[in-house]
Amino acid sequence: MKLHWRPSPRAEGRGAVGRKAARPAVVSAAALALFLLGAGLQYSLAVWLGAYTTLSRDAVNGISFAMEGVWFLLAGFVLSFLGRGYRPLENLIASAVFGAVTFFVLRALKPPSFSYDRFFASTGELVVWSLAAAAASWLLAMWGASFGMLIGANGHVDPRVRYEWGIARTHLRLNRHSALLLALLGVLPPGLFYALGIAASFRDPHQRPLVHPLHILFMVAVVLASLTVIGKWIQHRAQIARLQPGQRRKRPATVVMTGISVAGVAVGVWALTVVLSVMSGFESDLKRKILGTNSHALLLKYSADFSEWRSVIPKVAAVPGVAGVSPFILNEVILSHGQTVTGAELKGIDPATAGAVSELPRQVIAGELGWLSKPQDIPGTDRVVEPRGEAAKQLGGPEYEQYLEDTLKRRQAHPEESQKLDPEALRNLPGICIGKEMSHQLRAWVGDVVNVLTPLGEMTPTGPVPRSRPFRVACILYSGMYEYDSKFVYIGIPEAQRFFKMGENIVGLELKFADVDAARALGRRVVAALGGFPYRTKDWAELNRNLFSALKLEKLAMAIILTFIVLVACFNILSTLIMLVLEKTKEISILKSMGARDASVMKIFVVEGLTIGAIGTAMGLLLGLASCSFIEKFGLQLDPDVYYISNLPVNVDGAQFVMVAAISLALSYLATLYPATKASRLSPVDGLREE
Amino acid sequence: MAPLVEAREVHKSYWLGEKEIHVLRGASFSLAAGEMASLVGPSGVGKSTFLHVIGTLDPPTRGSVLFDDRDAFAMTEEELAAFRNRSIGFVFQFHYLLPEFTALQNTSMPGLINRQPREQAEAQAKEMLEIVGLEHRLEHKPGELSGGEQQRVALARALVLKPRLLLADEPTGNLDEATGEGIHQLLVELNQRLGIAAIVVTHNPRLAERMPRRLRLTEGMVVEV
Repeated sequence: MKLHWRPSPRAEGRGAVGRKAARPAVVSAAALALFLLGAGLQYSLAVWLGAYTTLSRDAVNGISFAMEGVWFLLAGFVLSFLGRGYRPLENLIASAVFGAVTFFVLRALKPPSFSYDRFFASTGELVVWSLAAAAASWLLAMWGASFGMLIGANGHVDPRVRYEWGIARTHLRLNRHSALLLALLGVLPPGLFYALGIAASFRDPHQRPLVHPLHILFMVAVVLASLTVIGKWIQHRAQIARLQPGQRRKRPATVVMTGISVAGVAVGVWALTVVLSVMSGFESDLKRKILGTNSHALLLKYSADFSEWRSVIPKVAAVPGVAGVSPFILNEVILSHGQTVTGAELKGIDPATAGAVSELPRQVIAGELGWLSKPQDIPGTDRVVEPRGEAAKQLGGPEYEQYLEDTLKRRQAHPEESQKLDPEALRNLPGICIGKEMSHQLRAWVGDVVNVLTPLGEMTPTGPVPRSRPFRVACILYSGMYEYDSKFVYIGIPEAQRFFKMGENIVGLELKFADVDAARALGRRVVAALGGFPYRTKDWAELNRNLFSALKLEKLAMAIILTFIVLVACFNILSTLIMLVLEKTKEISILKSMGARDASVMKIFVVEGLTIGAIGTAMGLLLGLASCSFIEKFGLQLDPDVYYISNLPVNVDGAQFVMVAAISLALSYLATLYPATKASRLSPVDGLREE
Repeated sequence: MAPLVEAREVHKSYWLGEKEIHVLRGASFSLAAGEMASLVGPSGVGKSTFLHVIGTLDPPTRGSVLFDDRDAFAMTEEELAAFRNRSIGFVFQFHYLLPEFTALQNTSMPGLINRQPREQAEAQAKEMLEIVGLEHRLEHKPGELSGGEQQRVALARALVLKPRLLLADEPTGNLDEATGEGIHQLLVELNQRLGIAAIVVTHNPRLAERMPRRLRLTEGMVVEV
């Protein structure tokens, strides 16, 4: 089959009648003006959002650049009408000039660098950005122009796709039977996953076995077997309904390829949604645990003197958006109990207000946070305080009961631990709360006496001597973060001030905001309310920057890698469509001889590609959703010593699913453009010369 | 009165590798509205090419094709498509029906391309299928029709929008004599009934004889017989 992959000679000569296309210079100038306007729009939007909203900088950048991208698409769309076609050359000239302008504007603006060892972007970096701006403007404009061409930018606007859809449907062999088959294929595996998850959630949560690879294999085999049986059945039914006995239906290669394309997109979307959900599960789990122990932001002072904090608290609390304020003191100490010694971060807190800024009171698994200020209430060592509360339930199990039994035995075997002091002095010892891991390390439970030692001791003629004081364990905390449970210990503010000889000073105030994600902007607001310097705030993202940057980068990297899977799947669509165009050359010619416009032929193949993409995306999303629900309900176990999370976390984020669907559909659309454009440019006689 | 269609010094050549093949060498002719002509000539002489050029499917290398004194190839792609849709009907040697659609759907396609509502397009199609005598085959797909029936559907599809010119490229070439005879009879009948001008390419001298006007294509030129 001979094909003429070039526009018919007619294409250049025509256009004498009807609306005229704008001249190249006009198109280029208009394109440049629109591009520059778009960049200006992005810049002013970013400035405005930064000044008048509490959005984070990432969100501001994301929104403003997304708007610029949409603007470029629209610009390409408008230009396709002005230029009566794609006009790639004129757009390229405009993009090149736009890139050059961007470079000089950026150099004048001195934007911050992406690299950490530089404040301002270097010339090399600016060149890269300008090139990216030029390339993006051209690609987006071409993309936008394709929409214009599709609805007839070179003539009358006609967005209808009625008969085009009918023809596309026959190319894809979409009829009642295949639609039913697709619906079954799309719903059954996710349904199976969902049902398995439901069944798994009825098990006793404490008896979860680790997943055996054989189980997974078995499940996959069951899914495949049931799919094969259903497929055979449908095929059988279709054959009985349509064909004579002994007659075999011919199935063109393109039908098989269409199926493969749909499956490819589905698998890509599936992988993308599941992996992103798990990653965001890790992120939100980490965020929840970090924000359970830490506040949303710290109010600090560029000075050691923070004695006026009592008068600052009401001022801070009055700032709109601030949900809680509590003072704190932080210092490093050494803890010892019996023969065991461990380093710790000692935090002085106000037990009455600590609950307003963190989840501390809800992390108590034994004892009372309130005993920090009323140490007389701490029970003696003659009995073991039983674990309680929500956090304690998560521990559960025989292992923990053993630990408590051992504690009692230890106390009976070594009564001298608590008998060094007379009972009255013992009762008056200040309280201290320690994490669960530290409790294990020190082998100290509620009521035990631990020694706290600070290296910042008295200066004596022989040099500095560390100062130490005994404390009685008032409560055990469990946050779920190994680091926190093994490092942080808490005492009351007055005790800490006395212990570190700070007088009336504190280190700072812990703040909690109504909106976590606006922490940075609200922090600035608090500092402004206090009159600025010497006050400053540090938000949680800043304090845990390493962790969250790593997670964000990891998530971005995964998203990019998996988007490539979808991209590869879209190459399937591309090749399927090219095959279809080759197969349907004759049909295209017939349609053209009947008066179908070029734009209509283009629409047929774009609609086909989009249908393949949409079906695959829908299947993938359903599979992803069902897999996430399965992972959540089944609870895939992780090694808790490594991850400190017992189950693989998943966070099904609607916005993420919408984003994945949008990416997949956008890529499917892009994949259709080449074959669709080629099909529309086929000369009507190309398919008629055969035979 | 200006003729319906006029070809002026039409040249058409193809490149086969390095070699230029001149198919049409200044073919000229004109056809009045409602007129019917047969076109004969040996195989490979360029009858199909001539028909494609007249039917605005293929632009000539040189020369012009005029409809009502208007240069067809000066139109934009969109105008040309609309013109083909409204004013020209094609019938080919092979029926070229869309295999997945029924006779009725195939026949309503030109109406749908013209963006008529489905009901209107199907009503017109039904009417035209009745005229060609296929009112009992509306819901059959091309694969379920005989050769003669397929060609009748193709004819109905070409004529459904009442074009002014019908171009038939060996419409009976693939059929047995009796069936071909029937199709030919139908063509003549429709020409008289609907007043549609027609050029019919044929190899059958008996059928060509019966046309009011007879043309022959030799050495890239059109001559009256």
